[in-house]
Amino acid sequence: MANTISTLNAEALSLESVSLWSVTWKRLLRRKSAVVGIFILGLLIFIALTAHWLAPYDPTASMLDIPGYTGQATKRLPPCIHLLGCSQEEPQHIMGLDGNIRDEFSRLLYGARLSLMVGFATVTFAIVIGTVLGALAGYLGGWVDNAIMRVMDVLLAFPSLLLAIAIVTVLGPGLINALLAIGIVSIPAYARVMRSSVLSVREMDYVSATRSLGGNAYDILFRRILPNALTPLIVQGTLGIATAILDSAALSFLGLGAQPPTPEWGAMLGSERNQVFTAPHLVFYPGLAIMLTVLAFNLLGDGLRDALDPRLAHVS
Amino acid sequence: MKRNLFLALSLLILASMALAACGPAATSAPAEPAATTAPVEPAATTAPVEPSAPFEGVSVAAPNCDYGGEFKSIEAVDEFTVKVSLCVPDPAFPSKIAFSSFAIQPAEHLEATGGSPLENPVGTGPYQVASWERGNQLVFSRFDGYWGEPAMSKTLVFRWSTESAQRLLELQSGSVDGIDNPGPDDFATIEADSNLQLIPRPALNIMYIGFNNNPKVDGFDNSKNPLANEKVREAIAMGIDRQRIVDNFYPAGSEVASHFSPCAIPNGCVGEDWYGFDAAAAKALLAEAGYADGFETVLNYRDVVRSYLPDPNIVAQDIQTQLKTNLNITVKIEVMESGAFLDAADSGKLTGLYLLGWGADYPDQTNFLGYHFGAGSSAQFGDKFPDIVEALDKGAQLASDAERAPFYEAANNAIKQHVPMIPVAHGGSAVAYKAGLQGNPHSSPLGNESFAVMGNGTDTFVWMQNAEPISLYCADETDGESLRACEQVTQSLLGYEIGDTAVEPVLAESYEANSDLTEWTFHLRQGVKFHDGSSFDANDVVTSLAVQWDAANPLHKGNTGAFSYWSGLFGAFLNAPAQ
Repeated sequence: MANTISTLNAEALSLESVSLWSVTWKRLLRRKSAVVGIFILGLLIFIALTAHWLAPYDPTASMLDIPGYTGQATKRLPPCIHLLGCSQEEPQHIMGLDGNIRDEFSRLLYGARLSLMVGFATVTFAIVIGTVLGALAGYLGGWVDNAIMRVMDVLLAFPSLLLAIAIVTVLGPGLINALLAIGIVSIPAYARVMRSSVLSVREMDYVSATRSLGGNAYDILFRRILPNALTPLIVQGTLGIATAILDSAALSFLGLGAQPPTPEWGAMLGSERNQVFTAPHLVFYPGLAIMLTVLAFNLLGDGLRDALDPRLAHVS
Repeated sequence: MKRNLFLALSLLILASMALAACGPAATSAPAEPAATTAPVEPAATTAPVEPSAPFEGVSVAAPNCDYGGEFKSIEAVDEFTVKVSLCVPDPAFPSKIAFSSFAIQPAEHLEATGGSPLENPVGTGPYQVASWERGNQLVFSRFDGYWGEPAMSKTLVFRWSTESAQRLLELQSGSVDGIDNPGPDDFATIEADSNLQLIPRPALNIMYIGFNNNPKVDGFDNSKNPLANEKVREAIAMGIDRQRIVDNFYPAGSEVASHFSPCAIPNGCVGEDWYGFDAAAAKALLAEAGYADGFETVLNYRDVVRSYLPDPNIVAQDIQTQLKTNLNITVKIEVMESGAFLDAADSGKLTGLYLLGWGADYPDQTNFLGYHFGAGSSAQFGDKFPDIVEALDKGAQLASDAERAPFYEAANNAIKQHVPMIPVAHGGSAVAYKAGLQGNPHSSPLGNESFAVMGNGTDTFVWMQNAEPISLYCADETDGESLRACEQVTQSLLGYEIGDTAVEPVLAESYEANSDLTEWTFHLRQGVKFHDGSSFDANDVVTSLAVQWDAANPLHKGNTGAFSYWSGLFGAFLNAPAQ
């Protein structure tokens, strides 16, 4: 008996030297789809951080206003790539010019910055508020639980994009208001995830132990329950970024999000939607960028879900 | 599995490159600006008719002319004669009364609908309303009792889409026979397509950047409003390169506006030409006004394509860029819903710059300068400028173009001095039809295409325009999309020639005026039937006009009750409630 216990202890000790995160990371790298997600995401973050060096032109400057610009300044000029045979005399525009004679490539690069910011900002906002609300509801129970969760149910009852449109209509169009609206509509998802985690963790032995050792509510909630309920939140958050980026692009497409001349992918798509046939590059590239970003977050989220699930520890 | 994913990704990227390389070249749209002719007065012939049956003519009269409007009385002299007396001479009266807002409907019908026949107008035109599925389509059927040439198609269908790409697609696929306002970039596509024809519409319009020098917004401090300063407005006028806007963002057939009104309007461009582009001088002037570092303001517009503004988003962003680059003025773009925008502009609630335009209803300066800057104009530019108002008042009352010229010259010069707005462009636009239509497929400089004179060989002709009509009682509509629908159904005493601007007799066979142009007698066409089978007579004319004129009339209801064209063209309403 004593032997068994000591062996178990030894195992526990050897496991402790490997943290949850490094295990997760290793498991993540075993999934090729997640690696693709991480790769695209890494590229996007790199682009977002270095957009001001990478971009050949100011994203809001018309070619007409650039001193010494010698090229053909025609609106919706198709892409000119020297490698693909475009005349060397013409300045290179990898993705052509947009309706306002601005460099589409530069706008797309700056758009990455905006989209990532939108994704992270809204999800952080929603996670912070959703976590606090969900934790309170799950831990306190009773009428607090009822009150908070019924409000969340009301929010969930609306289609999220419609609710976001309604909120933006009240607050007025603009990027910040769109962020706020998307943040608000994504709160319920996190609150629900958090509440159910708290409910399942609340009655665990180690929580009872803390309670019997005289830990106060703050200790129990934030030092015992929360860290153990974090896993599903991370997965939900990663997938949530994808939804947030898509929603903000949709709002901007409708003219309710980023205001001109901000280079936002959804807004770029929206302003050129009538040129689908005459200037396809202007709807193709922003659309592709949105798709790749959303795909990256979805792949990563999927991978994280599997990697963080202890039941799938030995499945690769 | 993983291989496939990489393969798919690389294929995607390859496809994107290929697509980019194969993108079609930017297109330029050729179109010829057609000349418009000045209105020709139809020869006045008298055709007095003795009423065969006892006829009780109604009449409405103002007690005196102090109420501020132009009308003094409308009287049914006999069954087929109407006499209108005016308080002031009005040489443009035939042009005005020909407008579709002053169409005639049966007095009984106006009574039966309580003064707002919004969906079921009864007129005398070649088509009658058959059904209106809101949000989908508006169907007209041929009126067999029409007094003139019967319509070529048995059924006329109006559809609408705000997206120019969709309109073109429907035309290319053959599901519609004609579309309004193809996108400027699509002109070349249409001309290259042998199944389609492009008919340019003469640029009888104006797009302008408006300012309000004294917005009527609660709590707005006008002393801090840079746009209240004439020098700032002049600096902006000089700091915007209008040629660049027209060259890059307008279709062929458009031109930079030298004056507010197009030159095709009589006396349209007398007086000095507008400011030329001079960024340095503009910057200096702005500094002189105390805004050397620029300021922040907003630019409002509605995201609606009109012939004067074919691509509002693009033009707005270019103006934003220019103001930032040339004058360091930071402009925040605010797109508004069409109706809300027009309301806010008219009631003077816009505090910054705004993009708006005007298409001619009839070719006269009263419709351009008079409507916008005259005594009866709205608050869209803020406080009125007395020198402009005075010149316009005098000019409007003179009969010949030569006599009016000096006053309009003075008005145009005063407008240049005060800069209530910046005239930007007279926008060329077009209508596209299927090739090989029968009859006379045309475009009208007034935007009132008549579909009775064209057909496609089948029973049904389908037209697709930019937007759904708001209502079909055009006495109380100002929107061109509504007016065009009304014009298929209802008719006025006079009308405009098809595809042109000259006034021609319609429900009045002839008319004459006294020597000082204050008494107008209309001799009505006999044997005209309304769509409901009733006969057209002088009392219908008096009632149709009086319900608009007399605010105390129980039928003075309309859609919103604004009757903007009446007040815009003829001044105050009779018995208007005190403000």
